[in-house]
Amino acid sequence: MAAGKAMAAAEPLGRTAEEVAWAEALRGACEPEHHWRHRREFLLRNVGELPAAGSAQLQRLVSLSMVWANHVFLGCRYPPQVMEKALEMAEGIQVTGAPVRTTRDELVAKKG
Amino acid sequence: MGVPAFFRWLSRKYPSIIVNCVEEKAKECNGVKAPIDTSKPNPNEVEFDNLYLDMNGIIHPSFQIRFRASKEGMEAAEEKQKIRREILAKGGILPPEEVKERFDSNCITPGTEFMDNLAKCLRYYIADRLNSDPGWKNLTVILSDASAPGEGEHKIMDYIRRQRAQPNHDPNTHHCLCGADADLIMLGLATHEPNFTIIREEFKPNKPKPCALCNQMGHEVKDCQGLPREKQGKHDQFADSLPIAEQEFIFIRLCVLREYLERELTMASLPFTFDFERSVDDWVFMCFFVGNDFLPHLPSLEIREGAIDRLVNIYKNVVHKTGGYLTESGFVNLQRVQMIMLAVGEVEDSIFKKRKDDDDNFKRRQKEKRKRMKRDQPSFIPGGQFSPQALGNRSSPQAISNPRQAAFEMRMHDRQNSTTSSSPNTSLTSDGSPSLAGGIKRKAEDSDSEPEPEDNIRLWETGWKQRYYKNKFDVDASDEKFRRKVVQSYGCASWNWYYPFHYAPFASDFEGIADMPSDFEKGSKPFKPLEQLMGVFPAASGNFLPPTWRKLMTDPESSIIDFYPEDFAIDLNGKKYAWQGVALLPFVDERRLRAALEEVYPDLTPEESRRNSLGGDVLFVGKHHPLCDFIVEQYKTKNTEPVDIPPELCHGIQGKLTLNENAKLSVGISRCSVTHLH
Repeated sequence: MAAGKAMAAAEPLGRTAEEVAWAEALRGACEPEHHWRHRREFLLRNVGELPAAGSAQLQRLVSLSMVWANHVFLGCRYPPQVMEKALEMAEGIQVTGAPVRTTRDELVAKKG
Repeated sequence: MGVPAFFRWLSRKYPSIIVNCVEEKAKECNGVKAPIDTSKPNPNEVEFDNLYLDMNGIIHPSFQIRFRASKEGMEAAEEKQKIRREILAKGGILPPEEVKERFDSNCITPGTEFMDNLAKCLRYYIADRLNSDPGWKNLTVILSDASAPGEGEHKIMDYIRRQRAQPNHDPNTHHCLCGADADLIMLGLATHEPNFTIIREEFKPNKPKPCALCNQMGHEVKDCQGLPREKQGKHDQFADSLPIAEQEFIFIRLCVLREYLERELTMASLPFTFDFERSVDDWVFMCFFVGNDFLPHLPSLEIREGAIDRLVNIYKNVVHKTGGYLTESGFVNLQRVQMIMLAVGEVEDSIFKKRKDDDDNFKRRQKEKRKRMKRDQPSFIPGGQFSPQALGNRSSPQAISNPRQAAFEMRMHDRQNSTTSSSPNTSLTSDGSPSLAGGIKRKAEDSDSEPEPEDNIRLWETGWKQRYYKNKFDVDASDEKFRRKVVQSYGCASWNWYYPFHYAPFASDFEGIADMPSDFEKGSKPFKPLEQLMGVFPAASGNFLPPTWRKLMTDPESSIIDFYPEDFAIDLNGKKYAWQGVALLPFVDERRLRAALEEVYPDLTPEESRRNSLGGDVLFVGKHHPLCDFIVEQYKTKNTEPVDIPPELCHGIQGKLTLNENAKLSVGISRCSVTHLH
């Protein structure tokens, strides 16, 4: 795992080691590599000053990063306000190879 | 685990384990039902000591019909709303709306007011029976309601295990467990109690049975579309009167199953002493691999393909090589499990190919059958002197001359026909007569067939592993580390445990698991009821939660808004209907949930706090019960310390009692709460 971390750390350009370490601590235990890389990008782009652990600010940031990642990789949809905010914060992040999913609402609409 | 598949396999392989129940039915005379005397001997010529009821299998089906009607009501209401809006938009005037209560079936979850009320009703029922039914005179009733954490069946097993562990336990105790879940069979075996029987409703394959999902007739579970039921009678008053015979029950005798297993699992010339109980444990463990409530099962292990038999065979080989059992007092020997999994992995390829072949054959036969059904005549009419003669002719048909020669010639003729067809199996239909459809290639544009649901993985084609991992986990199959993590998560335990992926790994990925730690995580706590609701409910069912908690599910500024998507993807996985697919819901991060709830905990009313507490079990006894005086004494002295139950007063049950603040010492009934029956 150490080798993996070192390589990943080299990637986000223009980030301090402190920022990168801060981000790495937020990775999900079972988060696949390329999901994580994209979500980390989201976190680093929107963090500004590193927030205090457990602060409302941090919780909000993490939550929105999950909203975005769940949307891109799992196909979830959230209330419009939430989606708007997350997509706004994700502007400029390139995602390659995101899976194409059918949502439950779409499936139900097809039958009905 | 799906009841039909496992149970069907089990009852076919070991038929003697099932016995019909003799039930004395209530007699009616002049419109008055005579009560059944429950204190008489059991007509099945066996007396049970303990009866365990898993309410899970009783509550949900009882409410099915109610919820069905409610769903229709909801749809009608939506339609109504739509029309109202249209009228308003055009400037019309509307009568005031009537608001009706709607049933959300999500209320059957621990922590809701509904479950709280249900618990109260149950307590009343028990008290009433203890007072009035002579058959209940010496019964001890223990109620573990939804406030006590854990699944019903596990709580039952826990109780049995604890009782076994203490000295006053009667080893010949006859246990009877009521429930339809196939898991119960395994859990029953795992107790190693010699007299264990399961009672459940009989599934009659030839008689019409309502679909288990929507409780309607006319189709099976796999074809269920989840449609609302039609009303029977103007006010749906005939809903409950289904035109089938009254429900019969069956006993599943685990002692007989144990005998079967003993024969099957006994292994000769082992390098160590054969211990039957341990091989039973191993058998149970292997069955769990094929499916349980907590893990998606391995794609290559399907019960109806004989997965369990396959595992047992591999198991018997492995045990010789490894010199030991898979399980030991609840702990798993990962190294040996790994050997079994790798052996399965070796044949995963051929399993998938065969599955596809069987599937294709089946579909082809179905098509041919449908074609045959369409034609009005039989597909084969004997000719020559065997040809059918119309009745009513004046002349009677001639006697057949030299029948054997004629039959031989016909067979020879057929054989020539069948060798020209595409495969040796296709030419014969189920009744043995050659099919005219045999040999005709399946047309791509066959209007009979429905479009096949898309199957992106195609397990039978080479490269299945890559596609599976890419499609389901969104990783490269070459990502070894990731695959290991999947396998690791497949088997570990704590209250925090959940399998963090939506799909199971392959058997062939079970390498290197021997070195993984497998301790139950200490310091982990179960979720309290309301916390659990936050973890399992969608935002739409938020009305069961206190207002500030509910807000966490819907407020765009909520720090856990990501747990509650409005819509989510479904992976149909080759199936036809949405409910059969895998729902790709985000997993709830336990730490973040607890952190978010910290702020709103103070908002709970005392009533809500009570509903949120982890309860213990409650014990009920009647006034004639030997334990009654002892208990009343405790209340009189206002003893606050937990006190041991004197086992001789209570059928050998051992445990500690503490006083229940809700206890009612009314005439004949007393109550106290029990913490840890051990």
